[in-house]
Amino acid sequence: MSTAIAQGTARDGVEAALARIAEHDGLINAFTAVTAERARATADRLDAAAPAPLAGMPFAVKNLFDVAGLPTLAGSRINRDRPPAARDAFLVRRMEQAGGVLLGALNMGEYAYDFTGENAHDGASRNPRDPERMTGGSSGGSAAAVAAGMVPVALGSDTNGSIRVPASLCGLFGLKPTYGRLSRAGTFPFVSSFDHLGPLARNVTDLARVHDALQGADPEDPMQAARPVEPVLPELERGIAGLRIAVAGGYFARGGHPEAFAAVAAAARALGATTVVEFPEAHRARAAAYVITAAEGAALHAARLRDRAAGFDPEVRDRLIAGLAIPAAWVAWAQRFRRWYQARVAALFRDVDVVLAPATPVRAPLLGQKTLELDGATVPLRPNLGLYTQPISFIGLPVVAVPLWPDAGLPIGVQVIAAPWREDLALRVARVLERGGVAHCG
Amino acid sequence: MSDTPDPRDAIDTAAALFEIPLQPEWREVAAASFATVAAAARLVAEFPLEDEAEFAPVFRA
Repeated sequence: MSTAIAQGTARDGVEAALARIAEHDGLINAFTAVTAERARATADRLDAAAPAPLAGMPFAVKNLFDVAGLPTLAGSRINRDRPPAARDAFLVRRMEQAGGVLLGALNMGEYAYDFTGENAHDGASRNPRDPERMTGGSSGGSAAAVAAGMVPVALGSDTNGSIRVPASLCGLFGLKPTYGRLSRAGTFPFVSSFDHLGPLARNVTDLARVHDALQGADPEDPMQAARPVEPVLPELERGIAGLRIAVAGGYFARGGHPEAFAAVAAAARALGATTVVEFPEAHRARAAAYVITAAEGAALHAARLRDRAAGFDPEVRDRLIAGLAIPAAWVAWAQRFRRWYQARVAALFRDVDVVLAPATPVRAPLLGQKTLELDGATVPLRPNLGLYTQPISFIGLPVVAVPLWPDAGLPIGVQVIAAPWREDLALRVARVLERGGVAHCG
Repeated sequence: MSDTPDPRDAIDTAAALFEIPLQPEWREVAAASFATVAAAARLVAEFPLEDEAEFAPVFRA
């Protein structure tokens, strides 16, 4: 199940995926619902129709996506009382219109306020590379399902790093497109200012193929940008001749374990990237993202905190309560700083096309681990897994997380970052790293 | 921006405003979390911005 196009019929692909789920999910805990009958019916319809671009590709979605007939959990216990979704999220519909087959809904950190993949209600998703370790989150089930080979592709969401962190810890390719590229309609939100959706996959071609399938205008998402569909698959094999590729220095060259920087160095070597650029005030960008996240997340959940506070995961609830205490002026400062930072980074991208940076400061921590040792200091694990992802999603840049294996141990990711709307460049660079054997899923 | 007063006071105020049934153990964790946000906000506040700096919800290449 490691390739995009199922061999044989769509029904064969679905049955093989269901068998993998039955075999592995008891341990891995990636799925919260398996939609087997729906999948079989969809596959049978596809097999009777003309070939479609995704050719029966099985996929699953983080359980914050609406799936007709299921309550949209968003990792919570509280949402179990919601009525089942009346129809699928826009991106689920796009996937199936292109010939994908939905296999089910996936575990995630509660309300996406998470970098670990742990969940007080459904249990942690476990990392298929080492089941005693975290998947990373909050799209933990999405990464676990793909890394275990249960589905070739899963959709997740990324507000501050929730696709890129689990892609790094589970050794997968993950794409966070430009903010506003893909419709978010029919998904449970977290932080409107930063919420993105995107795919995780075992190879770059699948990422590109799915990204192309997901694009399309949706009047139901008020934040979607007015962009044409810009297919990336036809560009994928163009290579990197003429591209100016740099490495992020400063903030992005500090604070991580050696393997995080070894992975970036290996990618840079393979790409011939010797220039170092600095994202100005990246530490402040992270701080501003932190403030906005806490405030917008809290505002979203204020009524639930009033009515059903005991129903939250304690790890999430207490941070949301804290968010309710944030003065509005702090949020306004953070949003105004965001403008400054966006303009400076846009200027940086006049001189380079792609920037490489670590995806996480460490490889997959042990389940239940609460702290990290970074630069000789003991720091809380949860916020610091997003150390390198947060200043990038803060201004909506497109990123492909690529998996490297700096030694015989576990994988760790590198962010391949491009200017807004240049997913094609990030994917081309990722493809060159994959083709050269530098980035792969093991 | 001055040093934040006791963050427990901020949590108590928010709990009253939003009618949160705050438990003592939640209060302590929320207060610690608020202190972390306050430190982040202080970092943002220290950065000088022109009065004309506006929000940036739209991104362009």
